[in-house]
Amino acid sequence: MTDKAYNECVDNFADGVYRFIVKNIRHTEDAQDIVQSAFEKLWVNRAQVLPEKAKSYLFTVAYHQMIDHIRKSNKMPLSDEASIPHQPVNQAQTELKELLMRAVNELNPIQKSIVLLKDYEGYSYREIGEIMNLSDSQVKVYLHRARIILKNKLSAYAPTAS
Amino acid sequence: MQLNESTYETIFLLYIDNELSHKERLEVEAFIAAHPGYAREMEALKATVLSSENLQYPFKGNLKQQSTETSLEGMVEEDLVEDWDATYATILKADLEAIPGLSTSFKNSLKKATASEAIIVKSFGFNQQKFTYAAVAACLMIFFGYQQLTKTPVSNSIAVNTTNLVVPNTNSNKTSDEIASSNASPKTKQEVIIKQQAITQQQAITKLQESNASKTQRINVTQQESIAMAETTPNNSVLDNQAVMKEIPRTYNNPITINATSLPVSTANIDAEPIVDEKGLTTYEVIDTEDPNRTIYIANFEIDGNKFRGITRRVSAFLKRNKSDKEK
Repeated sequence: MTDKAYNECVDNFADGVYRFIVKNIRHTEDAQDIVQSAFEKLWVNRAQVLPEKAKSYLFTVAYHQMIDHIRKSNKMPLSDEASIPHQPVNQAQTELKELLMRAVNELNPIQKSIVLLKDYEGYSYREIGEIMNLSDSQVKVYLHRARIILKNKLSAYAPTAS
Repeated sequence: MQLNESTYETIFLLYIDNELSHKERLEVEAFIAAHPGYAREMEALKATVLSSENLQYPFKGNLKQQSTETSLEGMVEEDLVEDWDATYATILKADLEAIPGLSTSFKNSLKKATASEAIIVKSFGFNQQKFTYAAVAACLMIFFGYQQLTKTPVSNSIAVNTTNLVVPNTNSNKTSDEIASSNASPKTKQEVIIKQQAITQQQAITKLQESNASKTQRINVTQQESIAMAETTPNNSVLDNQAVMKEIPRTYNNPITINATSLPVSTANIDAEPIVDEKGLTTYEVIDTEDPNRTIYIANFEIDGNKFRGITRRVSAFLKRNKSDKEK
C-alpha cells in the first residue's frame, strides 16, 4: 500500500471505524484512541496490507483493540446472553431509533459488534467472521439471536412507551 | 427454499440481512403477499435493523501521513535530522498547547529530549544495554587473556640468554638434589637456567665418576644449554627443542676455561661428549648475540587450546547475537 492509498483509507474508513468503536464502548475519547492506534498499525504495516484489504484490516485491528479495552476497563458484560433489565422508558426516548439503540447497547459485545458491522458497514457473514475470528455459521447464529432479542425488547418497550 | 411456519423466521432474518439471492427474495415477498399475517412479523424484524448514522471522526487530519516516497530522495542525513527536529518541535508545541494546566518547568523538561539524540542512538543501533554487554565481554576477554598468559608454567619458559654466560662448576661436591633444593625458589629466568645447567652438569659428573673417565674434554656450551632445555621441557616440546638444537650452529669462538674436576653429559641423547682438557679445565663458549646468523630462542610459552577456543567461541557468539539484534 502506498502512502497515497493510506491517506485514502483515512478519508474513506476513519468515520466508519470510529462509529463502530464508539457505538460499542460508548466512550468517545477511548474510541478516538483506538481508531488512532488502528491507523497507526496500518501505517506501520502498510507494506504488507493490500489496498482492497485495508478496510477489513482496520476493522479487525480496531475490534481486537476494543476487546482488549473492554477487558481492561471491565465496563461491559462478556456473557453470551446479556440480561435485559426492564427499565421504564422516558417520554423523550419513545422514538424507535432511541429504543433500538438502547436495546443494542444491552446486547453482549459479540452480538453488538456483529449487528453494528452488519447494519452500519454492510459486511457479509463471511467478512464479519474474518474480522471477529468466527465462522460464517457462528456469525449467523449470533446475529439471528441478536435480532430476536432486539425484536422482543422493542415489542416490550413499545407498550411502555405508548 | 421452503417457507413455512417453522422456517419463516430464519428466512426472514436472512432476507433483512441481504443474504438471499434475488430469486429467493422474490419468493419471500410472494409468500408475505400470500400470507398477510407474516407481514407484521417481517416489519418487526426490519425494525431491528440500525439505520445509517453519520458520525465523523474529529481528528482525521492527524491520521494522514505526508508522502515520504519522493521527499526523502536527495536528502542527506543532516537534512533529515533537522527536518525531524523541526517536526518534533512543532508537534510537541501543538500538544503542549492543547493540554491546559501544564507548568512551564514540565514543558521545558519535555523539550530537553531532542529528536536528534534519538536518531543518533537509532542510527548506531547501540543502546545502553548492548554497550553494557560489550563492556562486560571486553573485560572478560582481557581477564582470561591475561590469566592465560601469566598461567604459563615456568618449565615452559626457557630463556636462553647465553651472552657471556659462564657457569662455574662450583657445585661439584653437591648432589643434584642438594643443588635443586638450594635453588628451590629462583627469582629470575636466568637463575632458573643456571640451576638447570648446574643440575645437568652434576648428573654428568656423577656418570663420569662412575665410569672412571678422567680425560679432559671440551664442552660445547651451546649444546649443553640445549640439553638443559630439552630436559626441562614437557614431552610435547622436546622434539621442538631438539629441532631448535640442530639449527643452532656449533661455534667455538672465544673459549673460556674454568677449573673443574670433571664435566657433564649424562643422558643417552647427547651426542657430543663434554671435553675436559689435560689441565682439568672445562671450556665454555661465549655466544655472540650480535651475530645475525645466530638464532637465539628467548622464550617459549603455551596457551591452553581448549580455554582459548572457549573464549573465542563466547566472543563470536556475542558478536553474532549483537549482529542479529541489530538486524532486527
